[in-house]
Amino acid sequence: MNRRAFLSWGTAGMVSLSSAVAVSMGAVARFLMPSVFYEPPQTFKIGKPGDYAFGVPTFLVDEKIFVFHDRDRGFSVASAVCTHLGCTVAHFQSDQKFHCPCHGSVFAADGSVVHGPAPKPLNWFEVILARDGQLQVDKDKIVPATYRLMV
Amino acid sequence: MNLIREIWQSIVRRDPLSTDKGKSELVFLNVWLHIHPAKVKKENLKFKHTYYLGFITFFLFVILVTTGIALMCYYRPYPAQAYQDMKDLQFAVFLGPFLRGMHRWAAHGMVVCVFLHMCRVFYTGSYKKPRQFNWVVGVVLLLLTLGLSFTGYLLPWDQLAFWAITVGTNIGSYAPLVGGQIRELLLGGHTVGEAALLRFYVLHVAVLPSMVILFTVVHFWRIRKDGGLSRPVWKLKAKKPEGLVTIGGTPEVAQLQAVPASTDKTYGLMEVVTGKPIFETITPEEEEDVAFSYPFAFFREGVALMATVTGIMAISLFFHAPLEELANPAKTPNPAKAPWYFLGLQELVSHSALLGGVVAPAVMVLALLAIPYFDRNPSRRPKDRKLAIWLFTIFVVVNLVLIVIGTYFRGPGWALVPPWVHVVAGAE
Ligand code: HEM
Ligand code: FES
Repeated sequence: MNRRAFLSWGTAGMVSLSSAVAVSMGAVARFLMPSVFYEPPQTFKIGKPGDYAFGVPTFLVDEKIFVFHDRDRGFSVASAVCTHLGCTVAHFQSDQKFHCPCHGSVFAADGSVVHGPAPKPLNWFEVILARDGQLQVDKDKIVPATYRLMV
Repeated sequence: MNLIREIWQSIVRRDPLSTDKGKSELVFLNVWLHIHPAKVKKENLKFKHTYYLGFITFFLFVILVTTGIALMCYYRPYPAQAYQDMKDLQFAVFLGPFLRGMHRWAAHGMVVCVFLHMCRVFYTGSYKKPRQFNWVVGVVLLLLTLGLSFTGYLLPWDQLAFWAITVGTNIGSYAPLVGGQIRELLLGGHTVGEAALLRFYVLHVAVLPSMVILFTVVHFWRIRKDGGLSRPVWKLKAKKPEGLVTIGGTPEVAQLQAVPASTDKTYGLMEVVTGKPIFETITPEEEEDVAFSYPFAFFREGVALMATVTGIMAISLFFHAPLEELANPAKTPNPAKAPWYFLGLQELVSHSALLGGVVAPAVMVLALLAIPYFDRNPSRRPKDRKLAIWLFTIFVVVNLVLIVIGTYFRGPGWALVPPWVHVVAGAE
């Protein structure tokens, strides 16, 4: 085998070997990324409008949301997941603010950060009235804090 | 009688231990012991040189593997069963609380000892030529130790576990570009749930322990290949520091001659390789300072092993590993705290998640890795390296202070509360 053939075969070999390695690494990463998530759906129904009292927000434990029902302005749904590191915030009636127990972030009534390390306001989710007359929340649809559903 | 003797001989195949040859053969004919040299420098056996911290760390790891395997017999890594299994271990399994305690306290102990061991290596300047790379291997072992602790933390599936891991993995998602994906890969989902528990279990019982074993083997091998332990600082001469280390240096003695192969024995590399060894060698005048590994080194290591095991057993007799309520994704305990060795990190994170959770730890790890290559000062004598010692001490103190603040001075809502003030738990 002459020098030229050696070099070209060698290069071809190295290129194929490294691409094989790269492809395998990609395959491993993809393998580890689940194709199916057995997690609660992002869109779900939360009952009839009449189930919700005016004033005090209702905290839905499994969904981790606060449902606000205002007599004049209707429904809005806020996320209870702190935007800092994901702890569940509590809504205090005393000051109408959200307080996070983990690193002390405080969010105003409209979800904006008042204090603490949280980098973003709390999320507000779209809430609509489904055909069967139930409220339906979609966590994939983030809406402005001013969003309201009138029923 | 003769048969028994013959069987024993077939196993050990060495001369009696009363002879020097027997003592050497005990070491180098045995696959487990031959990581030691047949003879060691007496000064290196001194407690005040190493405090045996590396050994203690290793023995704690051995305890962790043994008790961990025992615990695996009763533990199922699914949210519905995991907590129940912990309760069983706590109340129904014979010796369950004791084994759980040993596993937990040895884990905390390993984090402490690996850190102290690193400090010892730093303060004695033992990471310097030719040991730079072994320091790097050490840093990897430190990270693996922390990883083992962190993954183990989730397994009891109680409130402490759930929220520590929720907060901990969310820190990762602040890493630029890939953060979110890394978190998803680690959790196998978007929240800490079934998939996350299984993945942490796999990491904790299979992936990380085997990596610790692999790197420990390299670590020990390198100690030998770097010429054994470094000289104790008090033995270093003022004028000619490290006079015996010759890597890359100009030769001070005549080049070694190739040794003609003799006909009546097998060869080690030292007989056929010419040139200078890269590590400290024992000069003839130091010959009297050496002792046989058997019994001198083995005895001391045996004492360290027994002290470690009995220490952990004693603690586990009196203190049980804590177990809180079942994990409840809806209710965050107030305050929610990470494992104590990450509380310094959480303290930083409480000021800024990106700076405290990603930038600061990354800089810290890179700085640790870079130490042996960045520190060009060849001297190992404390007198000659005041600046390095100051900087490292500041690093240690800052870490400790942050951990103490996070552990004792943070109350509900992460507010600054001194430990002597009692807070009536959370306004909710
Ligand atoms: C699982 C973790 C570790 C184990 C089991 C371990 C074990 C050991 C042992 C048994 C020794 C012999 C001397 C002694 O007992 O001090 C040693 C020496 C050494 N270790 Fe580690 N070690 C670990 C982590 C580390 C870390 C985190 C570092 C530094 C970042 C490190 C750097 C070194 C160096 C440079 C030496 C040689 C010291 C000398 O020659 O005086 N090791 N290690
Ligand atoms: S998770 Fe809410 S302040 Fe950190």
